[in-house]
Amino acid sequence: MSSAEITSELSESHAIPRQWIVTAGRIALAVALLAAWEWGARAFGPLFFAPPLATAQRIVEMAGNGKLLTDTIATLRVSVLGFVIGCACGVSLPFLLRLSPRAAEAIEPFIMASMGIPKYALTPWLILWFGIGDAPKAIVVTLFVFYIVFITVFAGVRGVDQRLINMARIVGASERTIARKVIWISLLPFFFTGLKVALPRAVSAAIVGEFLVAVEGIGFSIERARQLSDTTGVFAGIVVAVTLVLIINAVVNALERRAMRWRPTDRDMQI
Amino acid sequence: MAGTPMLEIKNLGKRFPARAGREPPPWIIQDMSFEVAAGELLTIVGPSGAGKSTLLNIIAQIETASAGEIVFDGEHIASPEQKALHPGLNRRIGYVTQDDNLLPWRTTIDNVLFPLEVQGTLDDAARARAQELIGAVGLAGFERYYPHELSGGMRKRAALIRTLVYDPPMILMDEPFAAVDAQTRTQLQEDLLRLWSLKRKTIIFVTHDITEAIALGDRALVLTQRPARIAAEHPIPIPRPRQVKDIFTMPGFAAIYAGIRADVQ
Repeated sequence: MSSAEITSELSESHAIPRQWIVTAGRIALAVALLAAWEWGARAFGPLFFAPPLATAQRIVEMAGNGKLLTDTIATLRVSVLGFVIGCACGVSLPFLLRLSPRAAEAIEPFIMASMGIPKYALTPWLILWFGIGDAPKAIVVTLFVFYIVFITVFAGVRGVDQRLINMARIVGASERTIARKVIWISLLPFFFTGLKVALPRAVSAAIVGEFLVAVEGIGFSIERARQLSDTTGVFAGIVVAVTLVLIINAVVNALERRAMRWRPTDRDMQI
Repeated sequence: MAGTPMLEIKNLGKRFPARAGREPPPWIIQDMSFEVAAGELLTIVGPSGAGKSTLLNIIAQIETASAGEIVFDGEHIASPEQKALHPGLNRRIGYVTQDDNLLPWRTTIDNVLFPLEVQGTLDDAARARAQELIGAVGLAGFERYYPHELSGGMRKRAALIRTLVYDPPMILMDEPFAAVDAQTRTQLQEDLLRLWSLKRKTIIFVTHDITEAIALGDRALVLTQRPARIAAEHPIPIPRPRQVKDIFTMPGFAAIYAGIRADVQ
């Protein structure tokens, strides 16, 4: 047996129990959370704390009568629409600002100041302008996503190794090619960080938007349940929202791993 | 020197722009003039911080000149305006920098093919040429490795052939082998001389290592400490092909070494 084989066997025989420990830890944490939830329901009563089982039953019921699907689709529609527009603006603006450092300097304080606007407070005003359809909610989602993506991507654009850009120029790459093949790929770690922060925000912004104006959607269901003092309905809506965020996050993580296969694994972060 | 030079540097000066409210910064390069003939391998020796990298950056057109003229292949290229620069002047000036500057997300082969890819000249013949160069510098078998999986010497080789693959007539080299161990360095120098003997590129090779300057160069220029000027010029009449590892046993080596040593401050 060559030394290379021995090394790989050693690391594999370590890797399997480690992965197992992580999975076991996750299950233990989930069980502990469920137990705490159940305890809360018994201690405070179902009006303050809907029991896990009742919540699960409600979700199954919602799945059965089709409400789960229509709610999820409605919320996803608004989140995805806002998310895509916010991302597109948040990514392209830093690239535009890169073309003119002076314009970037001039514009930056305005962007930062506009960040301070409470976005949910805009919703009634946006309804006034755009009616009660998807548009006002999608705009609020767009605003949330835009700032997060813009700030992370802008930091990424500024942090690109100038030496790599010079190298690319010297070998004859056009500025467009450099933006695509050097800058964009360099800032992917920043971009994915932004995405991971922005995605749950996008979903919760859509849900909060639905509290204010909607005829369907996860937020609409939560708000209606609240008005009826149906705590189980509120909890069911929250669980559905959390599950949605977890699924979206898993998709982003898979995309990130695919895009950054080249990166060396960080020893400290290895399981 | 016979014929028109490939590159003429005339009274070149460089200093970085003043910051508001401070004294004007000192000259980094001042009144520097020299010529490089086509097919010549010119070495430039100078102490660390002498402005050697700045000089190459100016010739490569990624840095502006503050004074003087640069004529490359009959064309005036120096400019005090950053926007007027043409880095690498239409792929005719290659630059092997001190850091390898490989793209970390690309494998060896994709890094080597990068110039061809961005120039739109990537075809089967180009791939074959790249593969040949990879073999010539001993990187065969490492085509699919990422830079962080290669040794320092291997990364230098990859950076070197990334420039050779698109065949620029002039190549600037900024202490490309400084950061590797002595044995690897000798090997890299041999590789460079072999590749250069096949295709007579015009090379400006900057180093702080006098032995390296003698082993590689047709001629060595010695720079002064800041501001950088040409302190002396030493022809190196050691016949080629040269054995880099035995260079100090060649007749004349000791005298040239002593001469350069005396001029380096």
